[in-house]
Amino acid sequence: MLRHAQRRIILPFVLPAAALLGLFFVYPLVRTVVVSLSEYSRTGRSHFVGLDKYQELLHDPAYVSTLKNSFVFALIGGVLLFPLSIAIAWALKQRLRGESFFRFCIFAPVVLSAAVVSLMWKFLYNPTLGLINPALEGIGLGGLTRAWLGDPATALPAIALTVVWQGVGIWVILISAGFERLPTEVLEAGRIDGASEWRLFRSVMLPMMRDLFRVLVVLWIVQAMQAFAFVHIMTDGGPFGSSDIVANLMYRTAFDQGDFGLAAAMGIVLVVVMLAVALLVNKVMKSHDIEY
Amino acid sequence: MTSNTELRPADPGAPPVGPEKTGRRRREPPPERARFRLFHLVLYLFLGGLSVAAILAFLWVLNVSFKTDQEFIGTPPWSLADSIRLTSFRDAWVSADVGRYFWNSVVVSVSATALGIVLAVFAAYPIARIPFKFSGLVLGMFVTGLMVPWMVTFIPLSMIIDDLGLSDTHLGLILVYATYNLPFNIFVLVGFMKTLPKELEEAAAVDGAGPTRTFASIIMPLLGPGLSSVAIISFLNNWNEFFYALVLIHSEEKATLPLGLFQLSQAAEYGSQWPKLFAGMIITAVPVLLVYGLLQRRVTAGLTVGAVKG
Repeated sequence: MLRHAQRRIILPFVLPAAALLGLFFVYPLVRTVVVSLSEYSRTGRSHFVGLDKYQELLHDPAYVSTLKNSFVFALIGGVLLFPLSIAIAWALKQRLRGESFFRFCIFAPVVLSAAVVSLMWKFLYNPTLGLINPALEGIGLGGLTRAWLGDPATALPAIALTVVWQGVGIWVILISAGFERLPTEVLEAGRIDGASEWRLFRSVMLPMMRDLFRVLVVLWIVQAMQAFAFVHIMTDGGPFGSSDIVANLMYRTAFDQGDFGLAAAMGIVLVVVMLAVALLVNKVMKSHDIEY
Repeated sequence: MTSNTELRPADPGAPPVGPEKTGRRRREPPPERARFRLFHLVLYLFLGGLSVAAILAFLWVLNVSFKTDQEFIGTPPWSLADSIRLTSFRDAWVSADVGRYFWNSVVVSVSATALGIVLAVFAAYPIARIPFKFSGLVLGMFVTGLMVPWMVTFIPLSMIIDDLGLSDTHLGLILVYATYNLPFNIFVLVGFMKTLPKELEEAAAVDGAGPTRTFASIIMPLLGPGLSSVAIISFLNNWNEFFYALVLIHSEEKATLPLGLFQLSQAAEYGSQWPKLFAGMIITAVPVLLVYGLLQRRVTAGLTVGAVKG
């Protein structure tokens, strides 16, 4: 009786959300594939060209270089992000005084708009108006000063640092939650056996959180691919394409050059490559059945 | 839970805990603070350094927004403003249209958040609490949205918005934002609804309430904590969103704050009116910092639920 009555509401309850998701997410996702197989003219007319656009991509040095930049970006960001967020999460676990103040400050940038954070860091990096170069001079490292965003060697890492600065709070929270779920008996047993905090951290806590880190690394790669706003606002891909990532090239190809087909193909290739990388990461980081 | 310090001898080099800390302890009783140990000094320096850097960055933006254009160019970047001058804020709000962007952002993010939540609550209820054949599949379909890089779809999406005649309208942006809030909202709400006791519906049915009535008067009132987490996080995302605003909004007077701020920054490059831009950044940041400051626990709780399981 109850089940039967309940069944009647399933469709009307789920349908509105499903319709919106279908119209603005699933359908565009599928249609991206169709668009990537077409040639668009300026007037908006299109015709089927098969895999031409994909072939064009293979020979497009700009695309290959942005694809490389995207993953270099994810790598630099990951190398900055994970040690930093693990260190912060561990430090916050020590029940220090002022913990909630530290939490507040470290998490606060997360709630700011990428636009605000990008503009702020664009100025911090500015060689004449910013603070980074004077700060380096102040501590006697004047030799390191440079136009951070204007130098092809540093533009991409500088943007990666900005993204990490903004996002680190989220990762700290996720890793903290992982620490909370560790079985306390195991840690206590280690302490009774005289293991130092560092030893516990390295030999017990990190290995036990392997599965979490696997998920987080994949999550980070997906996020890093979408750092569009930071690149668009801070350098727009420059200088000389050194900080250009696929997302930004895709946007410019679509709206500056009007080549929707090519831009869609870029997106599809990115998703496929990203899935492959995610699967690879998953395989490499698979834990070898640790026995507790 | 104090055992991890109690088990070891106290560090003889550690200074005694000052008596002034007792007031602090009274305010937050549950997590007992750890006894000071020497390596904590390193941790204090580490966390303190990061926190101070974040605060300084914010204060620096505030300081610049107090400067005049000439002062900004003519003085070193770290020098303090002559006086606390609010003219940049007035200029930004009135002549640079930041006031208009602000209200655009309010309209778009509040409507999108509300729509995204209403739709998500309705969709989550049957998935979470009515056993039916494809419930797993339906949830899976919604949650896929969390894993696909959503910006890949922007070309067909902008075409669809065009076809619907919603190009360059707030309504178009609201629908898109609400859609992109759905996967996270539904995911969190389904998890939350599953934690409610099973007997609720049965008891209501015994009392003669139909399923819609049960949903509205029994389940809805219990959703408070789940809804507030989801609402805050959707709002923050919608307030801060940049990419789809850039793609879907073309006329300057319809821009939301992040987009308007970006346009302002490009204008500032030519007119060297940076303090105005910095004032605009403060105006954009303060509402979300307030929301976060007041509701810190809800924000972090919601994020933990959503991201760890996803």
